[in-house]
Amino acid sequence: MTRNWKIFIVVLAVGVAIGLVSFRSLHRRMKRLAQTEVTEEQARHELLAPQVSTPTDAPVKATIFWAGGPDSLAPVGIELPLSADPAQRSRQLLHALIADPPTPDQRTLPADTEVLGFYILPDGTAIADFSDALSTETPSGILSERMAVDSIIGTLENNVAGLRRLKILIHGQEVDTLAGHIDLTGFFDLNSPTQRTAPPAAKTASSSPQRAAPPKASPASVVSAAH
Amino acid sequence: MIVLNPAHGGTDSGARGQNGVMEKDLVLQMARGVKAELERQGFRVVMTRNDDSNPSYDDRAAMANGYRDAIFISLHIASTGTPGSVRAYYDQLSTPYTPPAESSSATGAASKVVAAPASSGLNLWNDAQRAHLNASHRLADLIQIELAQKFSGTADTSVGAAIRGLRSVAAPAVAVELSSVSSSDPNALANAAAVPLGDAIGRAITAFRAVTPGGAKQ
Repeated sequence: MTRNWKIFIVVLAVGVAIGLVSFRSLHRRMKRLAQTEVTEEQARHELLAPQVSTPTDAPVKATIFWAGGPDSLAPVGIELPLSADPAQRSRQLLHALIADPPTPDQRTLPADTEVLGFYILPDGTAIADFSDALSTETPSGILSERMAVDSIIGTLENNVAGLRRLKILIHGQEVDTLAGHIDLTGFFDLNSPTQRTAPPAAKTASSSPQRAAPPKASPASVVSAAH
Repeated sequence: MIVLNPAHGGTDSGARGQNGVMEKDLVLQMARGVKAELERQGFRVVMTRNDDSNPSYDDRAAMANGYRDAIFISLHIASTGTPGSVRAYYDQLSTPYTPPAESSSATGAASKVVAAPASSGLNLWNDAQRAHLNASHRLADLIQIELAQKFSGTADTSVGAAIRGLRSVAAPAVAVELSSVSSSDPNALANAAAVPLGDAIGRAITAFRAVTPGGAKQ
């Protein structure tokens, strides 16, 4: 073996050793960075999470629609401190729908979703403004998007009186679809049982939405907003 | 003419499963199998895409609207749901906004479907499905009955939903969605589903044409 070959092999061995050390260090740094990202995301979410409760809220038995199985919604009764103001109450209910599913499998809306605003017009038209996460993190598909929208509709129409229809905005804008399928350009009817379709697997008793008694009607002639 | 619409395509990958599985690829592969089965039953079939392109909703609808007797079937594979189950959806158009003064009489069920301006005699492109809602509902029911017999875990009634891809179709239109890209082997699932799906759709369309005067037309 010539002297040049020996030098080449030594240089190559040193290069490989340096590469291995650098790779392990790089790998460790990437893992640390990923952990930091999660922590930052959590911190940002906690910081930006809106204050949805007010001192005058009274504990109320509410019916929230979470997933009852892979294809269906089911009503769940929980006690929540809710405002008497319909817009604030709606916002609190949607916050609970997002934040408090009994189990991860029952989640219908992405955990990062925030309710940026909720407005009610004098004619009972409700406008719910959600953050981008609702659109970007809802799994694409007719079933998953429909369950997301139906969980919002079912939760509102079973706990807030006087709402006639719902418009869903994403970050203040009208969007074509939720995540590629369900049309968000129109309005969804509320408090009209014949219009809200039963869950796909409505054959089983648990998947059939049960309607809780609606709360006392509140004056719909007052424009109210919560944001 | 049956217009088969493999959903998504191009930059729109649709639902995503593990290992990079994308709905746009699976649904195209499944649509080819469905098309072959429908043609075997004697139907004429065209597809809105036969490659990794992504025609707009309007372009896809325009293909169906160009035929006098079209039936539009949109094929999808969900992100979620009981693996191997299939659902047929008809469009349930969301309500256009009407100012308070005009909407005072529109309550309950009637408020969901608002008639298109009758005096103009024109069909609004974004509202073209409205005139075919009943036919689409009937067709979706017939398809769902067939699906329930072939796919375990499948409900026997179709479902209404505000589906953007059906809104501009001026013909009976149904979306059929298989669950799901999250199953253990979505490729095998889509391949295995193609022939029974084509058979179910073909049988339902035959029954639909038998009970609908003028075939697909209303």
